[in-house]
Amino acid sequence: MEKRESLWDRCLHKGISRRNFIKGCVALTTLMGLSTDNLQKVVAAAEKKPLPVVIWIHGHECTGCDESFIRSASPLASDVVLSQIDLEYDHLLSAASGEPFEQHLETLIQKFKGQYILAVEGAACTKDNGVYCMSGGHTFTHTLRHAAENAAAVIAYGTCAVSGGIQAASPNPTGSSGVSHFTSSTPVVNVPGCPPIPEVMTGVVMHVALFGKVPPLDGQGRPKQFYGNRIHDTCYRRPFFDAGMFAENFDDAGSKGGWCLYKLGCRGPETYNSCGNLRWFQGMSYPIQSGAPCIGCSNANFWDSGKFSERLPKFGQPIGDVDKIGAAIAGVTAAGVVAHGAASVVQKKKRIAAEKAEKGAGEE
Amino acid sequence: MKEEKRKVYYLFSPFLRIFHWIMVLSIVVLFVTGILIAKPVTVVGIEPTFTSMSMDWVRNIHFIFAFLFCASFILRIYGFIVNKGDRLFPRVWEGHFYSETLDVALHYMLLKPSHAPFLRNPLARMSYAGLYAMVLVEILTGFAMYYMTEPSNIGGTLFGWVNVLLGNEMITHWVHHIVAWLIIVFAIGHVYMVLRADMMEAEGEASSMFSGVKFLEHTPKDANEVEPPIETK
Repeated sequence: MEKRESLWDRCLHKGISRRNFIKGCVALTTLMGLSTDNLQKVVAAAEKKPLPVVIWIHGHECTGCDESFIRSASPLASDVVLSQIDLEYDHLLSAASGEPFEQHLETLIQKFKGQYILAVEGAACTKDNGVYCMSGGHTFTHTLRHAAENAAAVIAYGTCAVSGGIQAASPNPTGSSGVSHFTSSTPVVNVPGCPPIPEVMTGVVMHVALFGKVPPLDGQGRPKQFYGNRIHDTCYRRPFFDAGMFAENFDDAGSKGGWCLYKLGCRGPETYNSCGNLRWFQGMSYPIQSGAPCIGCSNANFWDSGKFSERLPKFGQPIGDVDKIGAAIAGVTAAGVVAHGAASVVQKKKRIAAEKAEKGAGEE
Repeated sequence: MKEEKRKVYYLFSPFLRIFHWIMVLSIVVLFVTGILIAKPVTVVGIEPTFTSMSMDWVRNIHFIFAFLFCASFILRIYGFIVNKGDRLFPRVWEGHFYSETLDVALHYMLLKPSHAPFLRNPLARMSYAGLYAMVLVEILTGFAMYYMTEPSNIGGTLFGWVNVLLGNEMITHWVHHIVAWLIIVFAIGHVYMVLRADMMEAEGEASSMFSGVKFLEHTPKDANEVEPPIETK
């Protein structure tokens, strides 16, 4: 096997100085969400580890995750793809390449067995043996299963790949689900979001590439460094929430004044993502900052969790306003006990009268 | 008035009684603040600097009373250990439990003029088991939401599974909210049943939660479950 280049080797080829290489490593350390204590490890990995082979496959999806990925600014998506990983196969980029490229995929899987990173976008559709999503003559689930069992790690990009996304929304006609059911024992990193934040996408792939293992994950398999906080707890509008200043409508003064969007259905209190910290597109903005309540796009089943503009008590569609129903039931209960109480009084009077009559009969 | 000879039974330990009233206070405060959290009142016309009842405070009060309520279970458990009268779990493993429940139920349906005397009647005990189940749901869902501010800490590890189980953290809010209403419905029924028992049987049902004792004319069916009656002159 030919010698494969490391990041440092590639820098040497390009004539990048050692100083700039170290600078790059510092940037990489922070964008991966690590503390700067880990710089030594990052440098060591960047010097020695060969660039990882990445196979990027697409299932049922809109490729919006790629749209997000190419807008990554630090590092630039082009740098990641061209210099920092070995992107050998990508459904989207090589759509026109045809048969020879499908052969290349098979070659890669055999050649780098257990070494390559498999990035997956899109849901796996399972209904009718997966015929609703096919490429190169194979169902997506077949390709996925085959590529995943020989991969070092699987990165599930986007809510579709994590939990099925919009394809899995009710009534889920194609039987779509997250990809983790098809990855056998290969470790999976879930990177939910619709789409995920660009820097989160590049950060995760760089972490796996440099350290050769998945980043620390939470209970739902998401990297803790990016999904460890609620948007609500990192939101710049949180002070308005705490002060009780809420926008009541999308066109009122509160909305204009940038007050909290909680009452307009914001899912920030249930959503874990880096929107509040990293924001989007070089920190330019994020949904709440632009006046739109969070829809919780990195949550499983978010398409089916009620109207985006309603929170409790109106959340939970089939039932309706929980407070009104609760108050109605409480009212009926109160009326019921009053009626029952009245009936009980009558009953007691009857009982006493009966007892008296019995006593009177006994005395005679 | 005719003088009645009544037996005095000591039932409820001070631990249970204090726990009970902490629970009453907590449920009222938690319900009101909870509704305010779900549907906040917008502070209008006052500079936030000068408001004393902001959302932050409403939440803090909710959390403080939630912790107080949970802590008060120590009293409940201690009372359960030291005092027989505090052990209120319905004895579903005993055959006569079912016929007695039916007896009480028929009386509550106004089909029988009275029911057999009980210190703690089986239907009431069932409803308390139901209440504890609801409280358990509130505690689990409550902490599942509370601790997720720091999902990787110990609280998040202990309760995070609730959100996964329910499928979506929004559902956790929803369940918490609905069960809160059910507890209020229970409270209405509970207060009524106690007052009614006092009216119908006059055995000190309501005052027992202050004094710990009940006065019964006849020997109750569950007398064997508690200490013998206190000797009175």
